[in-house]
Amino acid sequence: MAKSILRQEWLGLAVIAVLGFVVMATLRPSFLTPFNLFVLMSTFALATLIALGQMVTLAVGQLNLSLGSVGGLVAVSFAGLMDVWHWSAAPSLMAGLALGALAGALNGILIAQFELSAFIVTLATLAMFKGLNLALTKAQPFYHIDRIVSAFGNASIGGPIPAVLIPTVMATAVVAFIFYRLPIGRQILAVGGNSSASELSGISNKRAVITAHVMSGALAGLAGMVAVARLQLGQPTIGEDWLISSFAAPVIGGVALTGGHVSIVGTLLAVVIVALITQGLVLFAVDPFYVQLVLGGLILVAVGLNSLRSLLPIGYSSL
Amino acid sequence: MRNSRLFSTIAGALFAGIVTSTAVLADPSTRIGIVAPGPHPYFTQWDAAGQQAAKDFNIGVVDYRVPAKWELAAHNALLESMASQNYNAFLIFPGDPVATRPTVADLVGMGAPVISLAGCLQDPSDAAFCFATDNTVAAYDAAKLLIKEMGGKGKIVHFAGFLTDPNTKVRIDAIARAVAETNGAVTVVDNITDLDVPEAAQDKINAFLATQGNNIDGIITTAWIPSVVAATALRKIGDKRIKMIGLDNDDLLMAAIKDGYVSGTVVENAFAQAYVGSFAVDKLRTGCKLRDDAPWKNANRSAKLMDSGTVYVTAANLDTYHDIQKDKAKGLLASFKSAYLKCP
Amino acid sequence: MAVGRSSRSQPNEEASTALGLLLLIVIAFAVFSWTATGFASPYNLYTLTRTAGLNVLLGLAMMVVIATGGLDLSVGATGVASAMFAGYLMQDFRFQMVIAIVAALCFGGALGFCNGFVVVFARVHSFIVTLASMSIIFGAMIVLTKAESVRDLPASFLALGKIRWFGYLSPMLIVSVAIGALIAIMLRWTDLGREILASGASSRAATLSGVRVGSRIITVHALSGMLAAAAGVMLSIRNGAMVPSMAGNLGQEWLLPAFLAPVLGGTLLSGGRAWVLTTVLAALLVTELTSGMLLMAIGEFWVQFALGSVLLLAVLLEKGRSTLMGTGEGI
Repeated sequence: MAKSILRQEWLGLAVIAVLGFVVMATLRPSFLTPFNLFVLMSTFALATLIALGQMVTLAVGQLNLSLGSVGGLVAVSFAGLMDVWHWSAAPSLMAGLALGALAGALNGILIAQFELSAFIVTLATLAMFKGLNLALTKAQPFYHIDRIVSAFGNASIGGPIPAVLIPTVMATAVVAFIFYRLPIGRQILAVGGNSSASELSGISNKRAVITAHVMSGALAGLAGMVAVARLQLGQPTIGEDWLISSFAAPVIGGVALTGGHVSIVGTLLAVVIVALITQGLVLFAVDPFYVQLVLGGLILVAVGLNSLRSLLPIGYSSL
Repeated sequence: MRNSRLFSTIAGALFAGIVTSTAVLADPSTRIGIVAPGPHPYFTQWDAAGQQAAKDFNIGVVDYRVPAKWELAAHNALLESMASQNYNAFLIFPGDPVATRPTVADLVGMGAPVISLAGCLQDPSDAAFCFATDNTVAAYDAAKLLIKEMGGKGKIVHFAGFLTDPNTKVRIDAIARAVAETNGAVTVVDNITDLDVPEAAQDKINAFLATQGNNIDGIITTAWIPSVVAATALRKIGDKRIKMIGLDNDDLLMAAIKDGYVSGTVVENAFAQAYVGSFAVDKLRTGCKLRDDAPWKNANRSAKLMDSGTVYVTAANLDTYHDIQKDKAKGLLASFKSAYLKCP
Repeated sequence: MAVGRSSRSQPNEEASTALGLLLLIVIAFAVFSWTATGFASPYNLYTLTRTAGLNVLLGLAMMVVIATGGLDLSVGATGVASAMFAGYLMQDFRFQMVIAIVAALCFGGALGFCNGFVVVFARVHSFIVTLASMSIIFGAMIVLTKAESVRDLPASFLALGKIRWFGYLSPMLIVSVAIGALIAIMLRWTDLGREILASGASSRAATLSGVRVGSRIITVHALSGMLAAAAGVMLSIRNGAMVPSMAGNLGQEWLLPAFLAPVLGGTLLSGGRAWVLTTVLAALLVTELTSGMLLMAIGEFWVQFALGSVLLLAVLLEKGRSTLMGTGEGI
């Protein structure tokens, strides 16, 4: 039962993604050039991390406005460690992940321990992390990142497949493992689904909320570091435009806003669709600002469909 | 009742504070504020140039300041706070060619002369004049150089900066003019704008080159970030078939010129702008006037433009262009003294 | 009944919060006058009151929605889009200034109405609706205007930006405070206001006592849109132009000031309690802190960090207060 619902949920998205791909490849043969596929998959790699970072907080019935701000702070710290203190790539990466997780933990603890609204806490930390970023960098980028990192950002691992896809695949696997195999994943979903009921059934709400935010922070940090590898520099503006897309992909992918339900496949497909739309607009030389219009529209349509589905009797939902 | 009395006490205290603190220190020496519109590598040269000017021309204070974000409100707030801090002469790159005008009017109204630097305010404004690269000339020259590199025929793509930047439209038009002179042998395939942000530039330029790279023969870039990103992309493609002329002097761009992936770059004279600009605004504050017959150019939306000039840098003069910039700054200083300024 | 209880207990709490804020404003004023060169100079006070006028309007725009337990992320996008609309009416169609401004307010109200309509009829939280509409409104505005500013405005409009009273006071603050007074009267002494607060306190109880909660939610969103439009027009008057980027990308730069004022002013995020006086004072305090920090040597790069900390501190204090008093009214 659960499985069949899951399948029908992302089937429509899969059809749209494949259709979009075919239409694009037919209308513009240059779409299938290796370089373009490389660019497309690099975009996908970054956008997936951002989307997953928001998905895990939605799973616990909350949200994380500071996602992009954490990503930016980790990005400049990662680059700064290499540029100023001449750390090599691996320890910088570890430090970056730790910083992201720490930022997420701060969010989670403030929300869970002091029972504050996730919205207002992450709005406040959004400003604080951004402020730290600007104060550290004086808004200037760090240029001299480790050669390994810049090579990694441009490298391919066979044909058009970019190396930056590796961290994304690994992160996706870890997130899937946590949600589908570990008790804490089920607890997060249980808390998201119904926080008072899950408290009664002995699940620690606080632990679930904090864990979700730590995951969100770590994913945001990883996304920030992938952005550094792609841009070849630690730019303080990294993360500034992640907000809408971080919500768009999970919402379009069928993740419930009220928590308690995630769809990793749906989110990934939604990221593909969004990336295809963005590329399509460039390919057909449409004003790129239409991206924002289309993204906003898609979010509205997706939530509209979701609430429509919840109003209809169960049987209709398979339509 | 009790509350209202407390309120009036506090209001009284506030008012007393205002009255006592209105007597601001009158500082006889010039305090110049050089204000960029936001963080951008182009402006970093201004700091050192300003310090050099303070030393060479014996100016009291020359401070380079930049708002934390490239944003109109932050830029205006910074200017306002500097005016309250007794800065009495300004070199300003406008956050917006029109929306910065009221703030400039405030500053000039308080007795601080303003020169708009590297980008012009739209006329009519209270700025004394605009000291900037003549974008029409720079973009036109760059397009001519590119057309020559391409052997006089082919297709060009133009990667540009913010559409909200007053300079962008001017550059698009200038390139169109140079291209029109080839009588159709050269065409502009596209002008892609808003690329002065790394992430957007990365996505759009790579997507463009990926899908239409085989279709074009030349790239002209008229902003900092797209120059860097396009140069990096050409290095990755690696066949050196596409010719490119960039703008300004980022390290990655210069390396690409050295290795032959990029033909050359038109470098604006940021040093001269802040150096000569500091001299000029100091003189304007201390009683000198601009000559009525000064040879102003009418460009960049301003009828009072002094062109700060450019240096065309190729692999040949890659190591010496900083000296060329400083030489040209001396030339600009001399011509400003003789043709633009009259002192009592 | 919820309505009676809250309106009786409010004045005292509101007064104590207001006094606290006033005290902070005075202390900050004294500290900054002492430490920051030029803080109390007439020009700085003038620019401070001008910015405060804008921040008060932003705070009120958010406060009216929070009163019903919702929020409006699209204030920035709505404000800028409405201002651009007024600009086009004046520049391209030679509308009279007053008519153009009224049209912009109506335009903002209409955008807000759409937000409210979708919130009520799609039964989706206002967060996600206004997140989407922020993207749609801003995207459409940029597409339609091609990101170009409106620069050719009538002299009467530009003249408004030059008014300066006594050397240190901007009329913009007075206008905003007057608008705030109207909203305060509406909230406290009209049926509409009481119904809005009742809807926020408990939508079920309000429905039972005959309040049409859905229509009140639409009302506050429309009102929020109008206030955002007023803020957009005000900023355009200050700039002498309508600039699409004047509130940052997607209008996001307005979010922090818009939430700071009501949250510092003690407005409950869960709805049912909205204080105008404290919101206005909180906006003043925030403007004062920003101005003072810009003037102090610590520099512009720490301002954002400080404002974020202030927001966090405010919710923590409010939480501590309500826990101590055992009211259970959490944020």
